[in-house]
Amino acid sequence: MTTTSVDVLVIGGGATGAAALYDLARRGVRALLVDQLDFTTGTSGRYHGLLHSGGRYAGRDLETARECIVENRVLRRIVPFAVEDTGGLFVATPADPADFPARWLDGCAKAGIPTEALSAAQARAEEPALTPAITAVYRVPDGSVDSFDMIHGFVEAARDLGSDAWIYQQVTGLLREGDAVVGATLQDTRSGEERTVRAACVLNATGPWAGVVAQLAGLDVSVKFDRGAMIAMNTRWVNTVVNRLRPASDGDILVPVGTVCVLGTTSVHTDAPDDYRVEAWEVSKILAEADVVVPGIRFGRALRAWAGVRPLYEPPEAGNADAQGRDVARTFSVLDHAARDGVRGLVTVTGGKLTTCRLMAEKAVDAVCAQLGISAPCTTADEVLPLPAATAGRYHRLDHRLHKLEHGEMPGELICECEMVTRPQLEAAITAYGDQPVALDDLRRDLRLGMGPCQAGFCSVRAAGILQAVKGQASAEATAALSAFVDERFRGVRPLLWGHQLRQLYLDELIYRRTLGLDRLPGEGIPQATIAAPGEEAAHG
Amino acid sequence: MAEKRKAGRCTIDPHAGRGTDVIVIGAGLAGLLAAVHAVKAGARVRLIANGWGQQIVSPGWISVCDRADDDVIAEVRGYAALHPDHPYALAGLDALVCALDLFQDIAEEIGEPVVMRPRDGHNLRLPTMLGAIQTPLLAPAGIAAGDLTGVNGPVLIVGFAGWRDFYPALVAGNLSAQGIAARALTVTLPAGRGSWDDWPADLARRFDDSAFRAAVLRQIQPQIRDAVKVGFPAVLGMEGHAEVLREFEAGLGCPVFEIPTLPPSPAGTRLSNGLRRWLLRHRARAQIGHAVVRGIVENGRCTGVEVGALGHTNPFYADAFILATGGLYNGGIQSDETGRLWEPIFGFPVSGPQSEGREGWYQERLLAEDGHPIHRHAGLRVNAQMQPLDAEGAPVLANVFAAGHLLAGFNPLTDGCAEGVALATAYKAVCAAFAARA
Repeated sequence: MTTTSVDVLVIGGGATGAAALYDLARRGVRALLVDQLDFTTGTSGRYHGLLHSGGRYAGRDLETARECIVENRVLRRIVPFAVEDTGGLFVATPADPADFPARWLDGCAKAGIPTEALSAAQARAEEPALTPAITAVYRVPDGSVDSFDMIHGFVEAARDLGSDAWIYQQVTGLLREGDAVVGATLQDTRSGEERTVRAACVLNATGPWAGVVAQLAGLDVSVKFDRGAMIAMNTRWVNTVVNRLRPASDGDILVPVGTVCVLGTTSVHTDAPDDYRVEAWEVSKILAEADVVVPGIRFGRALRAWAGVRPLYEPPEAGNADAQGRDVARTFSVLDHAARDGVRGLVTVTGGKLTTCRLMAEKAVDAVCAQLGISAPCTTADEVLPLPAATAGRYHRLDHRLHKLEHGEMPGELICECEMVTRPQLEAAITAYGDQPVALDDLRRDLRLGMGPCQAGFCSVRAAGILQAVKGQASAEATAALSAFVDERFRGVRPLLWGHQLRQLYLDELIYRRTLGLDRLPGEGIPQATIAAPGEEAAHG
Repeated sequence: MAEKRKAGRCTIDPHAGRGTDVIVIGAGLAGLLAAVHAVKAGARVRLIANGWGQQIVSPGWISVCDRADDDVIAEVRGYAALHPDHPYALAGLDALVCALDLFQDIAEEIGEPVVMRPRDGHNLRLPTMLGAIQTPLLAPAGIAAGDLTGVNGPVLIVGFAGWRDFYPALVAGNLSAQGIAARALTVTLPAGRGSWDDWPADLARRFDDSAFRAAVLRQIQPQIRDAVKVGFPAVLGMEGHAEVLREFEAGLGCPVFEIPTLPPSPAGTRLSNGLRRWLLRHRARAQIGHAVVRGIVENGRCTGVEVGALGHTNPFYADAFILATGGLYNGGIQSDETGRLWEPIFGFPVSGPQSEGREGWYQERLLAEDGHPIHRHAGLRVNAQMQPLDAEGAPVLANVFAAGHLLAGFNPLTDGCAEGVALATAYKAVCAAFAARA
């Protein structure tokens, strides 16, 4: 078993962990980040893509609203490559409480969120899909943010400063020496290899898993799990973020992200940090509510549904132990276990929003530095991050692919027609993994493979054939990769099977069962390892 | 009944449909065979369809009872006896046998490229583009030549560099793992338009050019060695398909076969075009690309259908109607987010899985062993005359007969009988339509 020593071990490759890794590196602290899966596979990837103005919290949770508007401006400044300035609208309809807009405006003013009243006609000139039945509408500085780009931006900037990040490393234990945590044991979730990391301090930035990790040190952190479902529609129904102007409720946001429009969300209390179910009533509810602001959208084509688990944490002293869902504040908590539990060397950060990830990281790293006696201040709010190499090719964005294809700037055959992925791109992405195992789902996150309307019906077997050729695999191995991808894609589309998407999946099933005979090959029936939990991301609908 | 069995073959009474106007709705396998049957029985036939049916996206072979290891019809008989609601049981075994005869006869009439090759009542063993083995009863000659019954190899699988829809090493590796020695060969296609999105039909049309295919053939000849058969993706010519097969067999000195690739399927396209031309030659009308929007019903009978046009509809009248609009895939059955299922033309009652809303339509995995309940249970319930039934089990309309995938009671994706059911029920629906007139 190999042992590595670092100053700080950050657990969790979501937005907060990645921002903390970067923050530590800027303060001159050598840190290592580990994640049990890939970056962005947890809550940070399973969201709707909304860069909050804070307007959504102005009615009820002013602290979160203030944090959001400040951090909204910071993220626009430091990770411009990950943000689309869509702007946002808050739209009230006759179905919404008439007294709410006044209260909401007051909250926005107190939180420092700029609002601009529009007439219904102005709003509909900008967004023609909006309902004519608008009783009030205001503009706010919402946006959409690609968490994949942002997180890779943080990680690569940290690497440039001498820190590192390892993925597919599960923390199996925290090392205790007396009343101090001095590191962790890890296991590679793919190869099974075990190793030890010794660290002067461990930062637990694992979102909904924070309680599980704290428990490894015998500490009690009770995180509540709140599941939210989202649906990606196959076109950008709106180009502006649209919020319902009413007390936060199910199904009141529409976010244009890349080529799709994401509808969200629900709030369901659950008992597990990885309960990613999407129930039929959630789909119906989200579509019905979205249809109130954008009439007809419920008859549009829904591509994929997914759920994320929000970690909700309220300190026991808040005396709000029974609160659930939207009643729990969306602000975040930093737990310094030295002060809280008398255990040095461990800090937990949980709760919060993706929009406030940098601030969460700042406060958590302040606590870490206090324990280590480091006085360097946080400087992450000022410096613009360089465009990360992982996204420099922008392969996971559609952008100009069609133009390039048609003008000979993207040679090779089109393997995934929906998302315009070519054979040379696929070959390069496979080669980039070197000797590491490659799942077709990894290529999906790299290239958008199989994320369009057909959900991989056509490209999956092509990609399996190319994977086999590049890796020199046996056919059985490529077939198993295909089979795993079929299962993964089906999970996200299963809640949406009616009408057009039902027909699409009939065609996909016809291809797999009849044209390919995939279900007739040995080994197909073996369920895939559960570690293949899909990293879903709004920007990757 | 219009059919009479003669020396083990079915013949159609050429007068059974005399003086009858028949409208067939749908141009899938069921609609096309129903139209052919009605024409052969002397009826005046109009086929109206929104588009081609599922044969365009299917591999091109005819699945009747894929699971049968032995005599296929005997296996179907046993299965039908145990499953009285299955369309095979409702249509009857005679209808299946006669339908298969009629289908093979008509394929022969149309000509070489669509001639169906059976294997003495047993299923074929055909390799897929993944190297799995499928076991349909019939297939177009080029595909049926891939029958692996009694073949241990070596089989040579040929693919084309730079064509996205076929991976010979994937096929060969999986075949070898099942005990059929196979090796892969990749050859280069002559420089042409060089497209990044060549579909199977695009490539098939390039093979119609003799210089093009000669350049491909030259590369394979030195690599033949001990191969007992040579397999290609199913793109060996569109109109010139039979000639390509002949040339390749002569040039390679061994049987040559095709392996179906991703949709759309050249085999299905050839068959559809062939049947349409046959119908037109026999004075049937064929309006493909025209949607029937509703039936005109008076006193328990259908008198006509309204066909969509620009801003209005046109009525067409007939004595009998064959509804073969397909299932959930082709639009004969519609579904929505609330779990409602409906038949859009006549509003016939549609049965579905016994579950609340959409709960229970799908299993957890796409390739779950028994398939998804929605595909088995969604559809029309019919009697032995193929008449759609109401909740009490009585026929809804006296002169409308349903056939093909809009029937409930079978799963076309998992039961291995997709084409068999389409053919048998179409055949039976036409017989019943004439019997009701008599």
